[in-house]
Amino acid sequence: MMIRFHCNGKPVQVDVEPNARVIDLLREDLGLTGTKEGCGRGECGACTILLDGKPVNACLLLVGKIVDREIVTIEGIAGEDGSLHPIQEAFLDTGAVQCGFCTPGMVLSAKALLDENGTPAVEAVEEALSGNLCRCTGYGKIVEGVLEASRRLTEGQDRGGG
Amino acid sequence: MAVIGKQTRKVDGLELITGQAKFTGDYRFPGMVYGAVKRAGVPAGRLTGVDAEAARAIQGVVDVLTAADIPGPNLIGVLPPFDQPLLAANEIRYAGESVALVIAETAEEARRAADAVSVSIEPYEPILTMDQALAPDARKIHETGNVTLSKKLIKGEIEPAFETADVIVEGTFETSFQEHAYLEPETVCAVPGRRFTLYASCQSPFHIRGHVAANLNAPASSVKVIQASTGGSFGGKDDVATEIGSLACIAAQRLNRPVMIAHERKESIIGSNLRHAARIRIKTGAMSDGKIVARQIHVLLDGGAYASESPFVTMKTLIHAAGPYRIENVAVESTSVYTNKTYCGAFRGFGVPQVTFASESQIDELAEKLGIDRLEIRRINGLRAGDPNATGQVYDQSVGLLETIEEIAKQPAGSEQTTDDRYVYGTGYASVAQGISNGAEGVDVTGASVQMSQDGSVLVGIGLTELGQGSRTVYALIAAEVLGVDVDSVSVRLVDTDAVHDSGPTVASRSTTVGGMAVHKAATEVRTSLVSMAALMFKTDQENIELRDGFAILKMDDSARIPIREVATAAYWTGFPVMNLAFSKAPDANFDDETHQGNVYIAYNYGTHRMDVRVDRRTGEVDVLNHFAAHDVGRVINPLGLEGQVEGASLMGFGLAHMERIRYADGIIQNANFADYAVPSIKDRIPTTTIAVEDPNPTGPFGAKGAGEPPVAAAAAVFANAIADAVGVRFTRLPITREDILDAVRGRDDG
Repeated sequence: MMIRFHCNGKPVQVDVEPNARVIDLLREDLGLTGTKEGCGRGECGACTILLDGKPVNACLLLVGKIVDREIVTIEGIAGEDGSLHPIQEAFLDTGAVQCGFCTPGMVLSAKALLDENGTPAVEAVEEALSGNLCRCTGYGKIVEGVLEASRRLTEGQDRGGG
Repeated sequence: MAVIGKQTRKVDGLELITGQAKFTGDYRFPGMVYGAVKRAGVPAGRLTGVDAEAARAIQGVVDVLTAADIPGPNLIGVLPPFDQPLLAANEIRYAGESVALVIAETAEEARRAADAVSVSIEPYEPILTMDQALAPDARKIHETGNVTLSKKLIKGEIEPAFETADVIVEGTFETSFQEHAYLEPETVCAVPGRRFTLYASCQSPFHIRGHVAANLNAPASSVKVIQASTGGSFGGKDDVATEIGSLACIAAQRLNRPVMIAHERKESIIGSNLRHAARIRIKTGAMSDGKIVARQIHVLLDGGAYASESPFVTMKTLIHAAGPYRIENVAVESTSVYTNKTYCGAFRGFGVPQVTFASESQIDELAEKLGIDRLEIRRINGLRAGDPNATGQVYDQSVGLLETIEEIAKQPAGSEQTTDDRYVYGTGYASVAQGISNGAEGVDVTGASVQMSQDGSVLVGIGLTELGQGSRTVYALIAAEVLGVDVDSVSVRLVDTDAVHDSGPTVASRSTTVGGMAVHKAATEVRTSLVSMAALMFKTDQENIELRDGFAILKMDDSARIPIREVATAAYWTGFPVMNLAFSKAPDANFDDETHQGNVYIAYNYGTHRMDVRVDRRTGEVDVLNHFAAHDVGRVINPLGLEGQVEGASLMGFGLAHMERIRYADGIIQNANFADYAVPSIKDRIPTTTIAVEDPNPTGPFGAKGAGEPPVAAAAAVFANAIADAVGVRFTRLPITREDILDAVRGRDDG
């Protein structure tokens, strides 16, 4: 079937099997391989993408669910000039990235949180990232990365508003 | 130091944070097909037939391979005895055993067709415990019997020493199988051609190259292995990457099409190696002043169906079982056995977490019996420079154990205690030593290249793999420090067996220490050329030149400086070599094979941890309030990377100690997914504080020692000791789960 949706700000029209998973649509049809598959059962969060701003597991999502909706993947969050998103910068600065396989999903879960709540408490960060497993870091530096991103985004807004 | 010791971002972080890094599963090639394996499904039996008719009828299926289709020897393995078939031919030795490989146009078709392959197996009574395996009349899982390796360490004479001891403590401790649970399941992609190219999520590409060539019956030089970005390994992507790498290449050769094999999560758990379960009987004798006079330890390791790295893990437990203590009389016997379960092999810590849990639990029991403070007993017995360790090896420097104990003693006491009787509080301590380098496991050599371009930028090549641990950043920092350039001007090659040198396996916390030495050596040669060139340009002697901040600088006049890029250009056109390939060999191990007395490792990382816990008596739930992890790392190369290693390894040790257990029923793993196998999530994280002690190691670059493994052992042991302190019950089996703690609290309260 032919479906339409927006992906990373651009309209997409693509012919897919109705029972196809969104992760396969992204990786195979659109070449967006930044979305990773770690378990295929919604248990690890490596395939997290944003659907209308909310984090979802692309391995559990069928293509019918995204018709006329807006998807954001890791490839879609950098600035138009290629500059990194503040969450990405903060993750690198705090050492939140080791092997990097969980990183795209982690960044998108963090973005969904910070878009909703610009100054989250530690518990809110833990809650928002509780569906994203990481085996490398022990998570401490990921929490630091999200909090550092929150500070930078807030300061950026203050400067922009002032 | 200009860059060494400065907090540095991962040099390869940009590709990872943007999703642009190519992991093996991200590659696409024209005509690519997908492989999926049919597994035995029963733990033991004789394979009498494979019927692939139904599988071949499934749409998209292009080929089905069985053992008969393997051109070379049907054997893999990391080291002798090389006892594992690529595809089972006769015997089935564990339920996850690969029996047939199905190739189809899509991964889903391959998976469906693999399920449709019918295998006939005459089942045997499976051997599921070590006791069954070691029974005198036990069926032999391999022709050689059910013992993979058994070794002894003998130092002094334990019997007379136990007789003189004022106190003796004895106990038996057990640990469970643990799954690596890297987020990226094992994946390979073979591309045929005049030469084979294999993209792999792997740990030791040269090892894979050798096996693929042997299985193909082709020379090693006809195979090129490229390590793609690898989503974690922790020891786990050696054997299995070889297995599926060889299978993919064999299929690619038959079909003349690229073949990708990607494990599903379930296969990653049942069909690739785990951490050994262990049973450790340990006895310690001490004088009333706390001085330990003798230790006797029997280690039994459940290695599952195949040898994998069991022989080396056996050796490692043998050498580490007595702990980081100066004990004159030690006897250890370590034995690994075969059972009809998923094979066990390398996993971060490599046997040391198991024996450290037993050893450190007993040190606490001894302290309690003697009425000596728990840090004090470690202080009394802890190894110092000049003391012979369990193998009799003496280091005259870089033995920082006592400093780690003093660092831990300095940390502030936990403050959050309430008088609410709902909670009990406890504090644990644990010390560890872990050998760095291949040591007893063989010669330790590394090749590394450093090339400077005319623009002054630098390219480093080495055959050790980046798996997330930050080794590329370490190499970049070492080269930048030696050459006096900015770390951003250094790039580190991907590991491509055509482009870098065989540097041995990426194991044993050896990347920074042994690999770093090779990079240092190559960079130093390039530096010599640059200094020679700069001396000519300044018309002065070489000793008057230093390289710093991107310039060649005249020492007596800081303002007299030439950019290194101009020196590099001049050196190039003068014919001075601005590249070097260095070969670095660690000092050889040299020990007696009967007693294991002698020199084994080039250095040890020493550590001491403290953990404060609060236990909810109503639920058994544990909150880790503080976790301090002090390690003697010789010299910190990148603090950010070191903290990442200590924090990550500590949570892995915590998982082993509290959460993670592979559950078997009748030889079949029951929890082969992340819903039922509890990998720590962000809500389970512990508040680790890394404390670096720097007692320089003469065999490492700038004095550095590896740090990636030792915190696993210390964190697991310290958790057990903290829980014992809180609950008042000594647990002798890991994991100590919330339910175990609740049962103990209830039992104690009832009693």
